[in-house]
Amino acid sequence: MSIEFDAAIRLGGFTYDARFEARNEIVVLFGHSGAGKSVTLQAIAGLVRPERGRITVDGRPMFDSAAGIHVAPQARNVGYVVQELALFPHMTVAENVAFGIPKAIDRSSRTAELLDLLRIGDLANRKPSTLSGGQRQRVALARALARDANVLLLDEPFSALDDALRVTLRRELLRLRAELGLTIVFVTHDLREAHLLADRLAVFDDGRILQFAAREEVFRRPVSRRVAELTGTSNIFAATVIENRDGTAVLDVAGARFAASAPIAAMPGSGIDVAIRGERVNLRRPGEVANAFRAMLTEEFAFGSSHTLHFKPVDTGPEVEVEIASRPYEVLGVAAGQEWLIELPASDLHVMRRE
Amino acid sequence: MRTDRTALVTLLVLSAAFAAFFVLPFAGLAKRAIEDGKTWELARSGTAQAALWLSVWTSTVTLGPDDRFGTPVAYLLSRARFPGKAIVDAAIDLPIVLPPTVAGVALLTAFGRRGLVGEPIEAWTGQTFAFTTMAVIMAQVLVAAPFYVRAARSGFDSVDRRAEAVAYTLGASKTRTFFRIVLPQVRPAIMAGTVLCWARAMGELGATLIFAGNLEGTTQTMPLAIISAFEGSSLGLAGAIALSVMLLGVALGVLVVFRLVSNQETWQA
Repeated sequence: MSIEFDAAIRLGGFTYDARFEARNEIVVLFGHSGAGKSVTLQAIAGLVRPERGRITVDGRPMFDSAAGIHVAPQARNVGYVVQELALFPHMTVAENVAFGIPKAIDRSSRTAELLDLLRIGDLANRKPSTLSGGQRQRVALARALARDANVLLLDEPFSALDDALRVTLRRELLRLRAELGLTIVFVTHDLREAHLLADRLAVFDDGRILQFAAREEVFRRPVSRRVAELTGTSNIFAATVIENRDGTAVLDVAGARFAASAPIAAMPGSGIDVAIRGERVNLRRPGEVANAFRAMLTEEFAFGSSHTLHFKPVDTGPEVEVEIASRPYEVLGVAAGQEWLIELPASDLHVMRRE
Repeated sequence: MRTDRTALVTLLVLSAAFAAFFVLPFAGLAKRAIEDGKTWELARSGTAQAALWLSVWTSTVTLGPDDRFGTPVAYLLSRARFPGKAIVDAAIDLPIVLPPTVAGVALLTAFGRRGLVGEPIEAWTGQTFAFTTMAVIMAQVLVAAPFYVRAARSGFDSVDRRAEAVAYTLGASKTRTFFRIVLPQVRPAIMAGTVLCWARAMGELGATLIFAGNLEGTTQTMPLAIISAFEGSSLGLAGAIALSVMLLGVALGVLVVFRLVSNQETWQA
């Protein structure tokens, strides 16, 4: 159950060049609309023919520009759920699902099996127009699985649903993946959805993959300012390297000194960018704390489960956004107008090459 | 509130005036038809019956080529991208905009005995077109085709392309996708196009008159019979009225049946 993907595509003025792989996992393609996520799925499904590259599914080449291979979409056996689903409006739920089942298989029993798998057996004779958003979603998934595909391509499948339903269906998807051992490529522009579902994450921007790595790696160790921005890192600072050895750097950030983890070789004196996610910042009471600076709380926003706090340095150091869960917020007694020590843990303060 | 009421009154008055303009001619026709007393008798005359039969069957035959050839053309226009598509698009609408008499003249120059292809075809096969029932059908096919193509094309345009893509990934060939996924969704549009096409063929006059002539029993369709009656054939003005009422009846019947059928056919997408 694997996909190896490497393709270059030109569509009008849009150039696309991307490479990633998926093995018995959920790979989330994340990025803004128009970044090239959907076209990736179309290339895997065989609906778009790249200019150059090689795409294999379970080791079988589906596309290989060097060998002149381009397998038709009919012969690729990948399940594909398109944006807004495109259920067949003139067919019942059962007919929609049965459409893709190969002739050699007993269609009615296989259909019943799939409807049961998605828990929509009672909808078999309904037309898509009479279904709710969540029900349609399940029909689309059942239909995509009709050919016993091991690989499932999902293009923003939950974007039209409300939050509660999304939660249910994401859980459903994780169940399906576990039960059927699927390899899933999932397209989304929703950061929380990406975080919840991804084993590995490919961050798309303007037809390129900026970073492809395990989820936590992408979120905590973005390779560039752009990736950090796209993945919702609120604190990105310009900094100067003072010292750099053994993967730990000492930096000057807005006049204050901080130790940071530096996976790149940055020369002392050079300018780099440094990032830390809002939820990785620690609030400390005044005292002796390493890698910390004094700051005043200037603004705060309550989001129910968490608070977002803005701090301005008292003398040196950067302006920082801190995310803190409601409970510690109350326990610590955080309130506006107070001075705190802002600790940027060296292991979470992440050095990036400046572009 | 006051302006609201004024607007509403204006709306109603204008609509009523427009409606009256539509209804009055038919009222006049009905009144004359009833007062004449000869309408039923004239409608059953040989000339009228022959014209009606000719109109109905040629219009029905017209649907064959228009559907058979019009559907692929509509599909291509909806899906294919090729240089000069805009020109082809406009050319297909030409018969809608062009006076039918021009179409008649054009047909004559192409398929007439001295025509571009008419002359060689007659030399090889002895077959002539002009002033035959075949010419009636050819004129109707040409004039009515755009109505069918336009309706069918908008039907194809409204089908979700992604549904076709999904069908391919489910292993369906292009042919199976077309017949199982696309065509069923286009059926209401195709039905509407067929009815429009048939109605246009029934009403065809100008091109037929020039290319097929006005020969009773062979090329004299209902509209031609009405013209002849009006110009003083044996049927006279009363005959023109009788023929008009007959056409009106057929048209209404077709529209009603179409509504009934299409209401059963439609589903919500």
